[in-house]
Amino acid sequence: MTDTIEKRLGTLFWVAVGWLAVISLLAIFAPLLPIKDPDAYYLVKGVRPPYSPSGTHWFGTDQDARDMFARTIYGARVSLVIGFVAIAFGMLVGGTAGIIAGYLRGRTDKLISFIFIVFLSFPSLVLAILITALLDRGLVTIALTLGVLAVAPVGRLARASTLSFAEREFVTAARAIGAGDRRIIIRELLPNVVVPMGALALLGMAVAIVAEGGLAFLGLSVEKGSTWGKLILFGAGSRELEKSPWIAFGPIIILFITVLALNYAGDRIRSYFDVKEIGL
Amino acid sequence: MNYWVQRLTASVMLLLAVSMLTFGAMNLLGDPLFNILGPAAADTKPESLEKVAAAKELYHLDRPLPERYVRWLGDMVTGDFGVQFGSTGQPPVSNLIAERFPRSLTLIVMAQLLASMIAIPWALITAARANRPADRVSTINSFLLIAMPNFALAVILKYIFGIKLGWFPLTFKATDPWLTRIYQTFLPALTIALPAAAVYQRLLRTDLITTLQEDFILMARSKGVSRRRVLLRHALRPSLFSFITVFGINTGALIGGSLIVESIFRIPGLGSAIVEAILREDFPIVLAIVMIITTAFVLVNVVVDIVYTLIDPRVKR
Repeated sequence: MTDTIEKRLGTLFWVAVGWLAVISLLAIFAPLLPIKDPDAYYLVKGVRPPYSPSGTHWFGTDQDARDMFARTIYGARVSLVIGFVAIAFGMLVGGTAGIIAGYLRGRTDKLISFIFIVFLSFPSLVLAILITALLDRGLVTIALTLGVLAVAPVGRLARASTLSFAEREFVTAARAIGAGDRRIIIRELLPNVVVPMGALALLGMAVAIVAEGGLAFLGLSVEKGSTWGKLILFGAGSRELEKSPWIAFGPIIILFITVLALNYAGDRIRSYFDVKEIGL
Repeated sequence: MNYWVQRLTASVMLLLAVSMLTFGAMNLLGDPLFNILGPAAADTKPESLEKVAAAKELYHLDRPLPERYVRWLGDMVTGDFGVQFGSTGQPPVSNLIAERFPRSLTLIVMAQLLASMIAIPWALITAARANRPADRVSTINSFLLIAMPNFALAVILKYIFGIKLGWFPLTFKATDPWLTRIYQTFLPALTIALPAAAVYQRLLRTDLITTLQEDFILMARSKGVSRRRVLLRHALRPSLFSFITVFGINTGALIGGSLIVESIFRIPGLGSAIVEAILREDFPIVLAIVMIITTAFVLVNVVVDIVYTLIDPRVKR
């Protein structure tokens, strides 16, 4: 957030987008790439693992001599999917509810807004803990749980921007030529509301990825497969940190750069389109 | 006065909604009887049936859901959180809460104090040098800090100050004297405080810059009041609004984050209690902690409102 709003996205924005593209491509094509097997044990005779970072193991290995770089890339597969599915769900449900509330106003708005407030008044992590505790800990459940958490913030933003657009001339004009509610919402309001929501989506994806890590630290993340959160957790014990800090720090660095890139890209889009009513 | 009545009603409504939601979800999605007795709950053996009947009696499970809710609510309001499922009712949940709550409270209060102590001077310094190199460096720093996940920051701080430098202990002993425990809470509190401080600093800095452009500041300066005095005595107070709002809202997020930080630094507070309770599906404990956290959240927001009227009497409606 700079003080003077530049009407440029800037070089750094493209660096951030570039990083996101690279990490996504790596995650998608991981099995096809010449990287090591994340589950293989690369034991060296006569030397006890964990091995420190080297030319063969860029991020070193864990206690079982598994390659941390490969594990981090494969972890990206799960972490990114969780982040993406979560925010897609939040946009779909929260966006729809928010636009309807902002467009119809009156009682519908009061009810939907109250539901949003109830959700926002739970500390989000507690809500995530509750849902994962009551249901199972599969990939889909975790992703949708984090998606539910995104509903209220996304919805509030969608409602706020709908409110500001619904009174504008082009909406009145559309209504004057006989457009119905459905048409006004889809053709007139949605395209305008999507931009601020897009910026929030990038920030929200970062939040979801971090939230998964938080759940991992509470032992409530996905049971199968490794995520960035789980990788960091395994390296974060006092003994591991003392003897082999690289186990935790490799995934931390990749996670941090990704979150940073998402935040920065979202922030730039927000100021580029001059979005004011951000509901965070 | 009318305003406060409205605020109070809204807060109570909110707490009721949250409690119904949690209570309903726990009882409908979970199986309380199974959680109390284990597999025996489904047995048809006579002695198991007897146990089931006894448990139903003890936990009022034979009553309809709304009645159980009202009963639980009535007890809770008087400070009785009911009995634990896991250890067949003993000790009561209230005892557990009484033991764990002060630790979490200390952690949050310490974190917020630290965050304010870092954020206010930081914002004053950067606002006075707005857009100069020092300010730009600080903006990058706060952006990095805000993006840092709390568990990652916890691991980094633990590594640097706990392991490499060895300044802080890595364990929390409930039996240690009060002052030692405060010392042991410092690193976790700092973990929570640093990103919060960055958020507060950014807000406060922006507001300070706006305030510094007002006429009364120019007036004060032209009367010969020193820059430092203008910053501290004239500009700070009217700039505190957004800071206080977010300070309140943020408390909820910090409580959530503190659950994770507690577990990383092994502080036996509400965070570890709720995680253990969830894994054991001990619903009365989970309910109690959810209610405490939500109540704390609502209370903080009311306090924020009161502080508003103290800073700026114009807010009172």
